[in-house]
Amino acid sequence: MTVPQPTPEEMAERASIDRSTRYPVMFFFTSAAAWLLAATLLGFLSSLKLRVPELWDGCEFVTYGRLFPAHMSALVYGWAMQAGIGVMLWLMARLTRNELKHGVTIIVIGHVWNAAVTLMVFSVWFGFGRGIPLLDFPRWIWPVVALSYALIVVWMVPMFRSRRDSPVYVSEMFIVGAAVWFPWIFLTANIFINKGTAPVMGAGIDAWYITNLIYFWMAPVALAVAYYIIPKIAGRPIYSYPLAHLTFWLLAFLAGWTGFSRFMGGPFPAWMPAVSGAAAIFILLAILATVTNLMLTLKGCSKLWEYSPSLRFTVFGMLMLGLYALLSAMSSTFYFGKNLQFSHFVVGMDTLAFYGFFSMTIFGAIYFIVPRITGAEWPSGARIRSHFWWSTYGIMTLVVTMLVGGVAQGGNLAVWDQEFSTSFVNSSAYVVGRAVAWALISYSNFLFLYQLALMFAGKGRKSDGPTLIHAEPGTAPSAKAAAGLS
Amino acid sequence: MKSDTFLKLIGGLALAFLLPWVFLILIPFVSASNAEPIPYGEGEEVEGGVTAYPDSVFYRHGSSDYGRQIYAAEGCVYCHTQVIRPTYAGPDMWRPGWGGREADGLARETQPMDYTLEEVAPLGYQRIGQDLSNVGHRITTRELMHQHLSDPKSLDPDSGMPAYLHLYKKSPYGEGLVPTPKAEALVDYLLSLKKDQPVPSGK
Repeated sequence: MTVPQPTPEEMAERASIDRSTRYPVMFFFTSAAAWLLAATLLGFLSSLKLRVPELWDGCEFVTYGRLFPAHMSALVYGWAMQAGIGVMLWLMARLTRNELKHGVTIIVIGHVWNAAVTLMVFSVWFGFGRGIPLLDFPRWIWPVVALSYALIVVWMVPMFRSRRDSPVYVSEMFIVGAAVWFPWIFLTANIFINKGTAPVMGAGIDAWYITNLIYFWMAPVALAVAYYIIPKIAGRPIYSYPLAHLTFWLLAFLAGWTGFSRFMGGPFPAWMPAVSGAAAIFILLAILATVTNLMLTLKGCSKLWEYSPSLRFTVFGMLMLGLYALLSAMSSTFYFGKNLQFSHFVVGMDTLAFYGFFSMTIFGAIYFIVPRITGAEWPSGARIRSHFWWSTYGIMTLVVTMLVGGVAQGGNLAVWDQEFSTSFVNSSAYVVGRAVAWALISYSNFLFLYQLALMFAGKGRKSDGPTLIHAEPGTAPSAKAAAGLS
Repeated sequence: MKSDTFLKLIGGLALAFLLPWVFLILIPFVSASNAEPIPYGEGEEVEGGVTAYPDSVFYRHGSSDYGRQIYAAEGCVYCHTQVIRPTYAGPDMWRPGWGGREADGLARETQPMDYTLEEVAPLGYQRIGQDLSNVGHRITTRELMHQHLSDPKSLDPDSGMPAYLHLYKKSPYGEGLVPTPKAEALVDYLLSLKKDQPVPSGK
């Protein structure tokens, strides 16, 4: 069951591969973490404004209609995509056993990406948004985003082609998939929407883009991480390798059909939401199979969850992916969907995807990668533990209040002879939960950014042993002290 | 050999992507593009010289196209939808005034061509506030629309809408507010929101 141990030469090779990725990957991680903190603060502020609309009346920069899209743009393009790109670069280098070349070019283009995100967020915030969820920026920004993405991921093609192990590992497939799917959906969405000759299809394509971003980019990157980290830390092969491959191809064939079920009964031909709903239900099978596969890989060594930060975050993220797929399939059926669409449920679901499964899995990857590329260990296990728990409390509060609040609000909206504002008054208590959740998540990510900045500045702990969340049982207090937990 | 694997992988992904791209995006987009107005048949009487659906004069007047940009820039879509679903999908049609002029028997669910004058149909993200598909029929005067934007709580104390005071200036002659051009444009746009023009039969 155990995998063969690497030879000293292989260890040295790995170390040199890790070193080659150090500066580009750390650049993406730290700037992403800074965007994440900004995004969570905007999330808190927008939720607060939704609960207390009259707060700071007359100031145009704090209206919900501007804060919320700014928050979404910062969360997705500032944090999620940048962190994901960093993870993709490192995983690709490790899995193909190639050093990362053109590091300087990648960092320069990374700055262009950050400049584009800054313009995106500020243009929405200063009133130049276009009211298209997740594509809210002025139209001249999208070519910059598309081009800088392409110039960053294109260096993975020669790496993939010169890989030394001939059979392709499933994580590599997921990375190649994510690398090419994003430009396809991003170009499709922007070209069709900006052509503007079919306004209703524009709205539909935007909904398609959002769910495709989740299933065609976030899910593959997160699964690439999980299929790398879980077997690695458990020290055993994937429970069923063919099942992992099957998941990949199911996702590839199904994800492109999702999205239109966000507008059930909307001004589209009725078959379009129906097909999207069916695709979401089939995807549930693929995701449940893959989550089960990963959990069975861990069977018998689930105690590792208590010590390893990477494993804990990744496993939590995968469970959230299962939950997301389940709820998404459920709300794609007419019975649930018709009452849940346009309610807080939508926000709950999008946040569950962006933060619940994607971000948590990526945290797992970052906790794994950063010590290897900087050659130092995380300064404090206690802070990692706080990051995990405050994030978990936050995201669970948010998801539960938004899902329950969504059901309540949807129920209120369905009572047609009741004053409309009743639905706002009745659901406002749940919005408090959303504000509290973002405050908790902000705090946890302040800790994360602080630790990451220490690692970036080379102030990590120099030690042979990794930083664990808790010390291994039965170890002496000295070992505990060495792990920075005393 | 290895490069073949890469091309095969990309080819497989492209094939898998092409199916939904063609059938869910390309064909519906092209077939909905630049749709010509449908003329009314004989016996389908419509008020005031309107000869076809959709009729831009029927909807738009004033600076409502600039108002559309303000609507987008202020993020109105994050709280307001512009979709009236058929009754099988929700009770939108039963809410007074949502579907259009019920008294004249014109209330109906929204149709794809109702959005021809938009850049991207503002279907909405959430429904924190009322649906605005036919707000031009519910709020008919500029004064009332300005009051809705500058002091929503004076009309409904439970309203969850913030006062859009940054679209207004203090009056130089004492009490009251003066709308900026942005506010006037937004009001033009909102007053133009009417999605109950009769659809020709057979459509």
